[in-house]
Amino acid sequence: MSLQTDSGPSTKGKKDMTVAAEKQGGGVLAFVKKQAQQSLAFGTLIILVVFFSIASPAFLTWPNISGVLLATAVIGILALGTTFVIITGGIDLSIGTGMTLAAVMTGVFIVNIGLPVWLGVLGGVLTGGLMGFVNGVNIAFLRLPPFIATLAMMLIAQGLSLIISGVRPIYFSGIADDFKLIALGTLIPGLPNAVLITIVAALIAFVVLGKTILGRYTFSIGSNEEATRLSGVNTRRWKVMIYTFAGLFTGVAGVVIASRLDSAQPQLGVGYELQAIAAVIIGGTSLLGGRGSILGTVIGALIMSVVINGLRIMSIQTEWQNVVVGIVILIAVYFDTLRNRASA
Amino acid sequence: MTEPILKVEGISKSFPGVKALDNVHLEVHPGEVLVLVGENGAGKSSLMKILSGIYTKDAGRIFFEGKEVEIASPLHAQHLGVTIIHQEMNLMSDLTVAQNIYIGREPMIGPFLSEAKLNKTASDLLERLNINLNAKQHVGELTVAKQQMVEIAKALSFNAKVLIMDEPTSALTDTEVEVLFTLIEQLKASGTAIIYISHRMDELKRLADRVTVLRDGSYIGSLNKDEIDIPKVIEMMVGRHIDEGTRPAIRDKTSNETVLRVRGLSTKSLLRDVSFDLHRGEILGFAGLMGAGRTETARAIIKADPTTGGTVEYEGKVARIKQPADAVRLGIGYLSEDRKLLGLMLEQDVTFNTILASLPTFTDSIGIVRDGKAKTIARDKVSELRIKTPSIGQMVKLLSGGNQQKVVIAKWLVRDCDVLIFDEPTRGIDVGAKEEIYALLQLLAAEGKSIIVISSELPEILRVANRVIVMAGGRITGELHNEEASQEKIMHLATHGGGDE
Amino acid sequence: MKYGRKLAFAAITVAALSVAACSSGDTSGGTSDGSGSGDQPYIALVSKGFQHQFWQAVKQGAEEKAAELGVTVTFDGPASETEVDAQLQMLQTAIDKKPIAIGYASLDPKACIPLYDAAKAAGIPIVEFDAPCDSDYSQNLSATDSKVAGALAAEHMADLIGGSGEVAIVGHSQINSTGVERRDGFVDKIEADYPDIKIVDIQYGDGDHLKSADIAKAMIAAHPNLKGLYGTNEGSAIGVVNAATELGLEPGKLTIIGFDSGAAQINAIKSGLMAGAITQDPIGIGKSVVEAAFKASKGEKLDKFTDTGSFWYDSTNIDDPKIAAVLYQ
Repeated sequence: MSLQTDSGPSTKGKKDMTVAAEKQGGGVLAFVKKQAQQSLAFGTLIILVVFFSIASPAFLTWPNISGVLLATAVIGILALGTTFVIITGGIDLSIGTGMTLAAVMTGVFIVNIGLPVWLGVLGGVLTGGLMGFVNGVNIAFLRLPPFIATLAMMLIAQGLSLIISGVRPIYFSGIADDFKLIALGTLIPGLPNAVLITIVAALIAFVVLGKTILGRYTFSIGSNEEATRLSGVNTRRWKVMIYTFAGLFTGVAGVVIASRLDSAQPQLGVGYELQAIAAVIIGGTSLLGGRGSILGTVIGALIMSVVINGLRIMSIQTEWQNVVVGIVILIAVYFDTLRNRASA
Repeated sequence: MTEPILKVEGISKSFPGVKALDNVHLEVHPGEVLVLVGENGAGKSSLMKILSGIYTKDAGRIFFEGKEVEIASPLHAQHLGVTIIHQEMNLMSDLTVAQNIYIGREPMIGPFLSEAKLNKTASDLLERLNINLNAKQHVGELTVAKQQMVEIAKALSFNAKVLIMDEPTSALTDTEVEVLFTLIEQLKASGTAIIYISHRMDELKRLADRVTVLRDGSYIGSLNKDEIDIPKVIEMMVGRHIDEGTRPAIRDKTSNETVLRVRGLSTKSLLRDVSFDLHRGEILGFAGLMGAGRTETARAIIKADPTTGGTVEYEGKVARIKQPADAVRLGIGYLSEDRKLLGLMLEQDVTFNTILASLPTFTDSIGIVRDGKAKTIARDKVSELRIKTPSIGQMVKLLSGGNQQKVVIAKWLVRDCDVLIFDEPTRGIDVGAKEEIYALLQLLAAEGKSIIVISSELPEILRVANRVIVMAGGRITGELHNEEASQEKIMHLATHGGGDE
Repeated sequence: MKYGRKLAFAAITVAALSVAACSSGDTSGGTSDGSGSGDQPYIALVSKGFQHQFWQAVKQGAEEKAAELGVTVTFDGPASETEVDAQLQMLQTAIDKKPIAIGYASLDPKACIPLYDAAKAAGIPIVEFDAPCDSDYSQNLSATDSKVAGALAAEHMADLIGGSGEVAIVGHSQINSTGVERRDGFVDKIEADYPDIKIVDIQYGDGDHLKSADIAKAMIAAHPNLKGLYGTNEGSAIGVVNAATELGLEPGKLTIIGFDSGAAQINAIKSGLMAGAITQDPIGIGKSVVEAAFKASKGEKLDKFTDTGSFWYDSTNIDDPKIAAVLYQ
């Protein structure tokens, strides 16, 4: 059976004579393995919810649950986009300040230029897409390492946000009073629209990753870029498209945060990228590329916000909250490596 | 004879500082297997990369079906009907078999992928090719042999008119090789032209309709089926004569001092009660089929993998080995089968790799590497082992396979190991260089080193090993002295022991 | 040509970004005014930051005073108030450029000491604003007494909630001195004078609106009897206001007290969402530090501390010219 042939990393070149058992077991086993990380993450989430519910009666109340979901929105949407980038084996550090730039541009379009809200929102989302496109071009065609290219974009976006806004928040109230309803309106009573937007974004990401050619090449490039290229796939062009697509999520996050704050705050954003990346990793997406899922990312983002909210409810000191979140990330990634070892 | 489907004239290709190909000719006809041979560095891979659109040629002409063509990209080559199966695995391990085979050609329903159609097409293809694989399984979960079958299936899925195979059997078991050869026969019958690159003379004999030999980037000559004579082919390849039937001199066993005594070695997944002795100055061969547990034994000895039981004694004392570093400290060096992955820093130069395992010897009291001393020793080893490299500052990845292997050997010699475990020491190395490696092993043994050679090639085991241990299913099933060993006897032990397999 | 193509992409990249930059008319701001070159004597101000509107107001005051005195000022600050190291680099650069005097707002009271020694050696006088360095070399500090300001917030909180009940604090930093003193001034005052008021929670949102809002929501959920919330800077206070809005609390149900000004806070006070806030006088700080620096450069003797003052403002006095003068939008 497969365990015999796969006892360690160097047995890569080993073959077995007995293939029948593996063939039958492979499908089921693969399925179980594939589900393992998600069920693990999901189990963690359930345990956390149960724990905090017992620890504080205030945790499992609708206003708080709705608050947790709302708090998940911005980081969650950022994490959705960056899941694609991370599956390709890349990284995007520019999503935090990129989100801010998208928020500022939304403000410029609606408040300074006076465009209708829908057009301004579209402009904000496309700002995110444009930054993703530039990242993609820099990475795929200028061959810059993703870390460097997006680090540069992170600084550029931060600087541009400040320059364009004149280092002042842009307020929507008075000019576009409906703007804040994008995130805070309640199409479903009690549930802020930002949560709905996140759910829709997650569904779109899920379908694109699993059911379209873009998703397939995302996995393929992350798994073995050279092999994908040799198979006749224009990997550079697809990488640009993947980064652009991921950038659109950054743009959506920018619109959502601007709407929630009813203003574009140009100094925000630094550090959001790391939280989003952490959510993706907790969700079982491999930083080495090739593996990952949208469901995992959603659960990862929820774990992050549940932990933070729970600790706040319990009035744990801010310093300790950071420690706990750090430990959660360590544990999640440790289980991920365990799983990799088991299935190597 | 029919017109050649693919004809290459006067191809030249240079890389900075190297002339990889110089005025090379080649032609292949429909329904023919052309075996292309040559030592590593002879230019076979460069030529194939030009034909498959990965490299562009500097000069020369390519004719496909009588018309001159410029092959601009892998995609273009595939459209023409020229497909290559690379020697290096070119699969996406996180995708399924079906997804790999049809990457870039996914069946769609509107904007969405049709996974059902994909799996159906792939299953049909695999069935038609008689390849026993589950289309939905992730490639990363497959053994290397099965991954190779995926590569083959992928290449054949293009309905290739010319199929190039670069050492396709180097990681296959005998049964799988048979499946492949049957496939090749089928393809031949259907009119596909096949260019088959191999180091194995038995394959050449079995498959070749014609042989073309390259050496040092130049065309040496071609032989038709009736002219093929193995010693002659080898002579064309290396420019000198090699005696294939050589066996090592019979060892004097009177002073059989045991260096390494292994007793009852077991692992959770495979090894059961593996016990053997290694004597000073001896070359001990480990034979067996793939998955028999030979590599696992070596890794268990140096504790690269956890063991569930057993002891290792080194020079009469129980060896406290908790991790590979302990083994190295004792003087046990393991040269892994996958040099590129585990044995070498490909991006580093010869000097760096040579001193890698013994850095403390080359650093002064405050930890600064003494370059002069390192370079001296690297230069010594390069000349001692006849490593072909323009300089000791050459990046190792630019050396041929045989020379890379020599750098690995140099590394452990510098470390002054007394026990050297070679895992497939000549995998991917051409015939001429193999002989050099064998001579080197014998020289080291004569100097008093004790050597274990793990090899899947029986002629290689018989060529170098004084004594042969045969494994099957994680157990030792027999032990033979070279004098009494034959390929038949070893195969018998390798296929009939083990019980539970 | 391959290289040409790369260049083309680089050009697109730059062009794309400049289009983004051009689409706004207002491109003022940035790290400095770019002056300070040439032979005109100038004063170098090294601030804790420049992105926050508070610092923009300080800068405005400084520039007004500079124009009045006929000198130039440069205004530099790190991107975030955690970048102690970057700020020290800026101070070093300022010293190297030999201004007639330096105005400095210290992020870390100890790390600056060696550079003060360097300035002393170079004969450049230093005056301080907002927060001091633990060195004797500085001749003057123009700042708000943050503990006094925190206590002022506590007094108003106590009045507004009727002298008893639970309150909590959303702080902006547990490290830098304004964050610490605004909190301690508040806490000390409550503990000393209002035994019936209980501070049930103190957490820190780094002045991030979103984070502060989520913190405030968690506090409100955890403490159903919470009567008052105190946000120690603009971002924290707006976060608290947003939390109350998002939860749909009726204006006034929760007494929210903020700090500093800014359009959002001013609106929240006018609409009754926020009970009131403490403001410093950032424009006054800017004016004071430039004046002190100018005098120091002339060798005049200065007082060690200039309290630029703090004021309570709410819907009743927000339009009072005296208050309106120290508020910034």
